[in-house]
Amino acid sequence: MANVRQISVFIENKINSLGTVLGILKKNGINLRAMSIADTRDFGILRLIVNDTDKACEVLAQSEYALNVSDVVAVTIPDKTGALSYVLDILGANGVNVEYLYVFMSGQAQVSIVIRVDDNEKANKALKSGGVVQLTENDIAAM
Amino acid sequence: MEKYWNKEIECMSREDMKKLQDERLVAQVKHVYEHVPYYKKLMDEKGVTPEDIKSTDDLHKLPFLSKADLREAYPYGLLAKPLSECVRIHSTSGTTGKRVVAFYTQNDVDMWDDCVARAITAAGGTKDDVCQIAYGFGLFTGGAGLNGGSHKVGCLTLPMSSGSTNRQIQFMQDLHSTILCCTPSYAAYIGETVAELGLTPDDLDLKAGIFGAEPWTEEMRHSIEQSLGIKAYDIYGLTESSGPGVAFECSEQSGMHINEDNFIAEIINPETGEVLPDGEVGELVFTSITKEAFPLLRYRTRDLCVLSRKKCSCGRTLVKMSKPMGRSDDMMIIRGVNVFPSQIETVLIAEGYSPNYQIEVDRVNNSDTLDINVELNPDQFSDKVKDIQNRERALSASIKAMLGINPKVHLLPPKSITRSEGKAVRVIDKRKLHD
Repeated sequence: MANVRQISVFIENKINSLGTVLGILKKNGINLRAMSIADTRDFGILRLIVNDTDKACEVLAQSEYALNVSDVVAVTIPDKTGALSYVLDILGANGVNVEYLYVFMSGQAQVSIVIRVDDNEKANKALKSGGVVQLTENDIAAM
Repeated sequence: MEKYWNKEIECMSREDMKKLQDERLVAQVKHVYEHVPYYKKLMDEKGVTPEDIKSTDDLHKLPFLSKADLREAYPYGLLAKPLSECVRIHSTSGTTGKRVVAFYTQNDVDMWDDCVARAITAAGGTKDDVCQIAYGFGLFTGGAGLNGGSHKVGCLTLPMSSGSTNRQIQFMQDLHSTILCCTPSYAAYIGETVAELGLTPDDLDLKAGIFGAEPWTEEMRHSIEQSLGIKAYDIYGLTESSGPGVAFECSEQSGMHINEDNFIAEIINPETGEVLPDGEVGELVFTSITKEAFPLLRYRTRDLCVLSRKKCSCGRTLVKMSKPMGRSDDMMIIRGVNVFPSQIETVLIAEGYSPNYQIEVDRVNNSDTLDINVELNPDQFSDKVKDIQNRERALSASIKAMLGINPKVHLLPPKSITRSEGKAVRVIDKRKLHD
């Protein structure tokens, strides 16, 4: 089960930090698929899933950003009460720790979620046996 | 085979050197007493006449000069020669307050060039070398000093000044520079830029670097030597004693030989003024015994270091000074503890961080705060906030172990701390402690 690559960008907690990064992606024709920011007093970690991961890394590195690419799990669940709980319960029952997660792409009675776990392989197996729909990088690019 | 620019002086016996210094000191004290009313007054107040100074053993009788005296005497108060005989001025970079103006006769310039030539030769430089000078040119003594020494040795001199780093590296490759002269922080920046351009030290012909004008640690030296593929030599000087070239490192790279045929060095207790023996840490004091236009006697440098007359493997007998361990005025007192920026730099490099940092000291609710901003290297980045926070905490603990006080460490993205091409601004002290 091929995981999804997420790019994390280290940005300063300053005016237009975020805008500048997005500007670079726009300039290079890269389309965002999912995005989230973790903010602290001094800095932000911008997490992105894009339609062309390699190109995004290249252009951001050229502009001297500190980047990190991590494999994350992405799932699609029905837009129903308890759907997310179901997923988290499966992970918990199988000893998988969730670092963070964020929602992207809602619509057509479905919601897609990025989940960063401590053990991707274990998570993939657990979700598969629980019948949860997992997404690949290509699936997301095509959405 | 060790090369010397002036073997006779650099390897002179201690007895001959003392005789030389004695003669020159006696003549210089007479010259200053006669021509510098400002210093004559200080001597009179202390009850000392030129006749009381018969040798270097009497040096301790003379009054000190400090930066405050130089500012008070600005601009001509310490001039010892008529202006018509002066050919140049240089001015300090003003890192602590008002500027100071130093004057030079042609003999003073020649002597200075000679001192720098000794430094370049000790670093392996000869007339066959290409010497790239990326120190600032102008009023600052860095560019002028190395330029003069480089010409004296006969190197092909590239007077680049600082800045335009891409052009520096272009010329370095196209003109096959073999020696680089600039501040250590600029050398580190050039090293970073070389790597960013996808080059390695093998793409350059550099063999040596002569770096000074600001304090730098052994760790920083090692880092620069790796990134540029060179042997990095320290050089020391102050505008008040001509400029760079007062002291220089040899192949042993463990302390700098002082050109004591021109500058007599003493170490004193900065609080009491008492002269300390070799091996003890104290404030470095210089007495210029050959300068004509602006000869300072017992000038307090505020640099803290140690002197040694132990035998050096390079064969030079000139007294050695350790790298300055900090300045008696840049030392900060935070929550009652003495803190030197160099201590923090040592920890950063030991823990694998870039030496690009800034310290902010402030006083909040009558208590001192210490914040240290450090740039994260791209390979230290993680997607998890907790990883970065853990790094901050670990670094804070290491620094606390070194300093004895607990700082707040802030890890920042690369390039978020402004790079310097001259002396790096490491400390921002927001406390209003003096006027």
